[in-house]
Order: sequence, then C-alpha cells, then structure tokens
Amino acid sequence: MRPGFSPRGDRGGRGGGRGGFRGGFGDRGGRGGRGGGFRSPDGGGFRGRGGGRGTPRGRGGRGGRGGGRGGLGGGKRVLIEPHRHEGVFICRGKEDALVTKNMVMGESVYGEKRMSVEEGEAKIEYRAWNPFRSKLAAAILGGIDKIHIKPGAKVMYLGAASGTTVSHVSDIVGPEGLVYAVEFSHRSGRDLLNVAKKRTNIIPIIEDARHPHKYRMLVGMVDVIFADVAQPDQTRIVALNAHNFLKNGGHFVISIKANCIDSTAAPEAVFASEVKKMSAENMKPQEQLTLEPYERDHAVVVGIYRPPPKQKK
Amino acid sequence: MLVLFETAAGYAIFKVLDESKLQEVDSLYKEFETPEKANKILKLKHFEKFQDTTEALAAATALVEGKLGKSLKKALKKVVAKEAHEQLAISDAKLGGVIKEKLDLSCVHSPAVAELMRCIRSQMEALISGLPPREISAMSLGLAHSLSRYKLKFSPDKVDTMIVQAISLLDDLDKELNNYNMRCREWYGWHFPELGKVVTDNLAYCKTVRKVGDRTNVATTDLSEFLPEEIEAEVKLAAEISMGTEVSEQDIGNIRHLCDQVIEISEYRAQLYDYLKNRMMAIAPNLTVMVGELVGARLISHAGSLLNLAKHPASTVQILGAEKALFRALKTRKDTPKYGLIYHASLVGQTTAKNKGKISRMLAAKTALAIRYDALGEDTNAEMGAENRAKLEARLRQLEDRGIRRISGTGKAMAKADKYQHKSEVKIYDPSGDSTIPSTSKKRKFEEVETSEQDPVTPVAKSKKPKKESVAEEQEAEMAAESPKKKKKKKEKKAEEEPEEPEEPKDEEEEMPVSEPTEKKKRKKKKKVKEEEDE
Repeated sequence: MRPGFSPRGDRGGRGGGRGGFRGGFGDRGGRGGRGGGFRSPDGGGFRGRGGGRGTPRGRGGRGGRGGGRGGLGGGKRVLIEPHRHEGVFICRGKEDALVTKNMVMGESVYGEKRMSVEEGEAKIEYRAWNPFRSKLAAAILGGIDKIHIKPGAKVMYLGAASGTTVSHVSDIVGPEGLVYAVEFSHRSGRDLLNVAKKRTNIIPIIEDARHPHKYRMLVGMVDVIFADVAQPDQTRIVALNAHNFLKNGGHFVISIKANCIDSTAAPEAVFASEVKKMSAENMKPQEQLTLEPYERDHAVVVGIYRPPPKQKK
Repeated sequence: MLVLFETAAGYAIFKVLDESKLQEVDSLYKEFETPEKANKILKLKHFEKFQDTTEALAAATALVEGKLGKSLKKALKKVVAKEAHEQLAISDAKLGGVIKEKLDLSCVHSPAVAELMRCIRSQMEALISGLPPREISAMSLGLAHSLSRYKLKFSPDKVDTMIVQAISLLDDLDKELNNYNMRCREWYGWHFPELGKVVTDNLAYCKTVRKVGDRTNVATTDLSEFLPEEIEAEVKLAAEISMGTEVSEQDIGNIRHLCDQVIEISEYRAQLYDYLKNRMMAIAPNLTVMVGELVGARLISHAGSLLNLAKHPASTVQILGAEKALFRALKTRKDTPKYGLIYHASLVGQTTAKNKGKISRMLAAKTALAIRYDALGEDTNAEMGAENRAKLEARLRQLEDRGIRRISGTGKAMAKADKYQHKSEVKIYDPSGDSTIPSTSKKRKFEEVETSEQDPVTPVAKSKKPKKESVAEEQEAEMAAESPKKKKKKKEKKAEEEPEEPEEPKDEEEEMPVSEPTEKKKRKKKKKVKEEEDE
C-alpha cells in the first residue's frame, strides 16, 4: 500500500491533502554507490517532487516506528490502561502507545500493530494508533480537553479518506455508535468501502461534503462532526453539514491546515480568521490546539454548535 | 402545508398541523424537544416504504441527481389526489422545480423549511410510526453501501484514469530505461569502452551488444541491421584496438540479458505511447492539438480528471506543475512563475526565451478553452483546437518577426510599419528632406531664437496674472459669505479672462523644445493655478 501509486494519494481525496503523495517512490536521489559519473538520469523537467516535504508521516504500510517487533509486539508483556478519553487506551510496554479496542478481531486496517490482552477468559485485541498518521490521535496526545467522540456517539466524519482514522473512531464509538464517513475521492473511497465492509457501524458516503443535501437520505442527527477536509472553505463545509445534521448543543472538531487555507498568511492569523468564521455560523469554538510535534502548521478547533441558553439545562 | 422527508427506508409525507409555529425559525427546535410535542405539530400522512434495496438505490440516485424518481412520483400522486391545493415543503430546491413541473404541486424551499427538516430529523423515530429505529439504521447502512458501490462502479472519469495511469507509467518507463541504459553502458564499457563513444543511440547500442557479445566477434558479425555503414566500420576498427578488459562468457551472458530487457521495454514503451496518443485523440482532441498528447496527458493527470481540469482557469492551467515555485513566490512576494507543465508544449518550446512567457499565457488561455470544449462540448472533432493553434502560431510569428526587425533595422522603421495600417490618411510630400544644404537649418535656428526671445516676456506677464487672481480669490472667498453680488462680479471677471486661455496652451507647445528649466517651473505653477481656477 504505497501511497505513491494512487493518482490522488492515500489521503488525497479533496485537493491533494497531505503532502508527499507525489513521487513517494522509495529512494530518490540515493542512488550513489558505484557506477559514478551518471548524470541525473531523468531528463526533462517532469520530476516528481521530492517525496513528502517534511511531514514525518510514516510511509505506507509500516508505521512510523522503528520497525521490527519492538515495543508493542504481541508476545511481550503489555499493560493496557484506559485513557482520560473514554474508548481510548494507552498501551504501556517498551514504548507507550495510544491504542483503541479492535472491533474486528484479528484484522489490521492499514498495517498497524495489534496486541491482544487476556482478561479472564475473554481475549481483547487493541490496535495501535499512530499520531503521525491521524490528526485525531495527534490531538489526543497533544492533550486536548475533550474530543466528544465516545462510546455510543453518532459521529459524522468529513474527509474520511481511506478510513484509517475512521476505523479508530469506529473502535471508540463501538457497536452502539455510528460513524458517517464522507469522502469525495473515488480512489480512497474504495479503501474506505473495504474498511466499512468489516465494520457495521461505519456508513460510507462517497459524496462531496459541500452538498449535504445529496446524502440527506442516509444521515440522521449526529452528536459530533469531525472534519479533516483541508479545503479553503472548510469552515463553510462544516457549517453546512452542521445546519443539516448536527443536533443542538452538538460538538464539532475541526482540523485546520493553515497552508490549505492561505499559504501566504501566518498560520496564527489563518487560525484566528477561521475561528472568527465559525462564530459567525453559530458554532462556538471552545478550544484550540496546535498539533505541533506531529504536524506542521495544523490546529484542531473544538466547539459547540448552537449552545443551549445558560439558564436552561 | 405538507412536508416531504426522505429517509433510507422510504419517503415520508407529513402534514403540518400548526403552521404559525413555522414562522418562528429560531425557536422552532423547542417544539421538537420531545416526541409528544413534535407529534402535535406534525402528522404523518403517508409513508412510502421501499420494497427492497434496489428500489432504495434507484430512489437515492434519483435524489442525488435532483430528479423525480418513480417511487417518489407514486407517493406524491397518492397525496396529490387528496390535497392538491397544499404547498409541499422540500429540502432540495432543484427537486422542487421538477416536482412543480411534472406534478403541478407548488413547492417551497426556505430557511424555515431547512430548519423544519432539521427538527424532523431529530425526532425521526418518533414521527415515523411503525418503523423501528433498527430497521432505519439497517436500511441506511445497506443503502449507503450499495450507493457507494454503484458510484465507484459507474465512475464518470474512469476513461481519464486510464490516461492518468498511462502517462505515469510512461514516465516511469522512461526513468527506468534510462537507468538500464546507463548500467548497460557502464557494464559493457569495461569490456569494450570504445563502443559507447561510437554508438550514441541507446537502443542501437543495446542491439549491438546483444548481437556481438564478446568484442572479438565484431569483425565477423553483420551489424548493418541497426547501425549505419560508416559507424559499423568504425565499430569494427575500434574493436581491433580496444583497451577493454577481457570478461568471461558468463558476464557477457548477463549483459545480454540486460540488453534484452532494455529492448523489450523500449518496444513496450513505443506501444504504450501509441495507446496514449489514440486515447488522447479520442478523449481530448482539441487539447491534444493545442499542446500535444504528452503535455495534455500530464495536465489531465495533474488535475485528476479532464473535468477537473476544465474547472481550472487559464491562469491555473498556465502554471500547473509549478506549484512549488508559485507558493514560494507568493510567500516571498516575488514574481510568480510564467509556466509549468505547459513549458514543454511545442509552441512554447519554439519561442525565443523573451517571448516564452507571453506565448505560454496565450497558449494557456486557448488551451483552457479547448479543454472545456473537450470536457463539456458535444462535438468530438479537433477543428476548434486547430483553429486556435493556427492563430497562436500566427501571433508567435508576429512576435518573433518583430524581434528580428528590431535587431537589424532602426526603431523608426518599426514605427513606420505600425503606422502603415492607416491607409486612409493622405500623405503629403515633405519637401524639407529634398535638399541637404545647410541653409534650411539656419532658418530653423533663427526661428528658434525668435521664439526664445519672446519667451521671457510672456511667461512673466502671465505668471503675474494668476498670482494676483489667486490673492483676489482668497479675499473674495472671505467676502463670499457676506455678499453674493460680488460673486457675480467675479464670474464676470472670469468670463473676461477665459478667452485668453485657449491661446496659452498653443504658445506653450511652441515654446516647449527650447524652453529652459526655470521657465518650465514657472509654467507648471501657472498650470496649477489654472487648475485651481477651473475647480
């Protein structure tokens, strides 16, 4: 599963997504060795840009971790303890890792590591959640106050891509919850559909999130909207969906990539302007967090939609 | 008022019992807080349940496209028979238009309706009686899956995907071929280094190596199949005095394998290129004519699909592929790039460096049109593209010709050529150029002296006037509030002065060439004063 082969990349979908989908072909430039005197063998100007600028995202199937069976290996003794956020767990081993309870036993979704723990007779399996690949995981590790995604919640996930993070969200909400995963790109939608096949609490929707009326038939009211669409008008997209499907007092979690909105302005200014836009749409931001060690110039904004008046409830 | 509400299980049609509540959009949600309250406002009139997933799928696809599906039509007709006078609230304005047209039902779509839909959705289970929530969720899951599968199966841009993949593969093959060729030359070079210099063509080199093997065989083998005569002779000569090392039979065998690979890949590449050419000509003929199939395919591959590309403006098409340079330029506030992928189009390639930017701009503009024509037009011929290309080529020639003339001729020659277009002008013979005897020039000098002599007198006299006036004006401005009569007088004064003005500019024009800087300053002052007066 190398992202380089898909025309729009692994996450790609709408408008390019994360960097590093073009020319992610193994060892560029590291040719060297013997046979010196080679000119740069690719004539002409059509060189795929150097793979993935700076994003420390692990490539393809293997996670970003050192590889091999270090740390999380199934045979080693591991200790699982619940995280502050319901449905999320921490795995204490050689290295600590964020994990979720696997809904589908014995299956990895994107090649992530699994570890099983025996509790009495039942065997419970957990899947590692790489913060470099998932903004939500990065936000949790960054110490976000509330993610609002909890067991039994109904979540609308905009920009589901291949369903890597969606699979973890589906783990968190459990069989009682529901995840509406909206993705526009057909290429990554294919992978998403495969993930949704195994997990019955994911409802896959291959449609443009800008037109919520096109999937109004499929979607009921939701408790949380998570958006990772990386579009210049993403606040508007979220607002459109919130107007249609987010219940009063429901929450939204938006991941903002500053470069996708305005590459010339300072990231802080971009975040501020987005937060301002949200307030205009009856979405009250409550928390903002940068994803610094994991992603560059990203922020996650958490807020409440149509907050109930103070004297009531 | 009736409300149409679509669910995954079927169509629900409600009747609004209390329409006055709908007016209060902001507090509407309070009426839907509990199922009991909601049932007081809305009553389910009819629920058209889908029989199976295929029917649901048909309904959903119709809904996505904003069309009136069969089952919806059936459901609406049942209602229309009973209450035709009622308005129908609907969540998609486009669908409303279709319903009105087909069934003659007046439809409403407003923010209030959107809010109502929201409220219905929140109390969906309570309002649609006789339908367990489990069933709804099961239906929506099934429908979502089948709808997504249907979408992927009948993806509209699958033809473009073929092009995208083909061009990517072509680039990969080129890269690999180059690598292999380098390796082959390097490897066989130890045995017969002179061959590399003599045979420059990669494919011919590989074919030679495959046929010859050990260099001692060169003399006896016939290479005329793939080498011209003189080069063959050169190779044979070089083989006799080669300084390469001896290699074993096994080594040669492996090198030969590599050569087989290279030749095979080269053949495959040629075949792939033909395929790409045909595909491009079929899918985007105009684009292909404008920029060639390779660049065209790369543009499509960059945008994702032809339709996506058609949505880009010409300015984006121009710099597609130069995003890195563009964003760097935007960040550092430098000049943005002039061309991206389009640089490799033949039209840009044949232009001189100076005009490349211009041509790439024009080419991008025409290409953008061609792309839209290909993506959205009905015709499948390349006439439009060919026409535009001819225009661009003519323009290019014009640009280039101008550049050449500038080198050989003078600036005046060019100016004359420009003026030549106005043929209606009657040209008068200018006798001044007849004679080169200096007498004429003397005369001119004399005239100039005359004018310069006049100069000092007139400007000073004139420059004094305005000053006085300006002073007078100020005074008058103070007085203005007191006496409107005086104002009239002033106007009269102005009227008297005005006739003089038209003469002044003429004088100035005559004086211009010989005037000294100081005078100019004065005149400027004068002008300023005049402007003030005019105001």
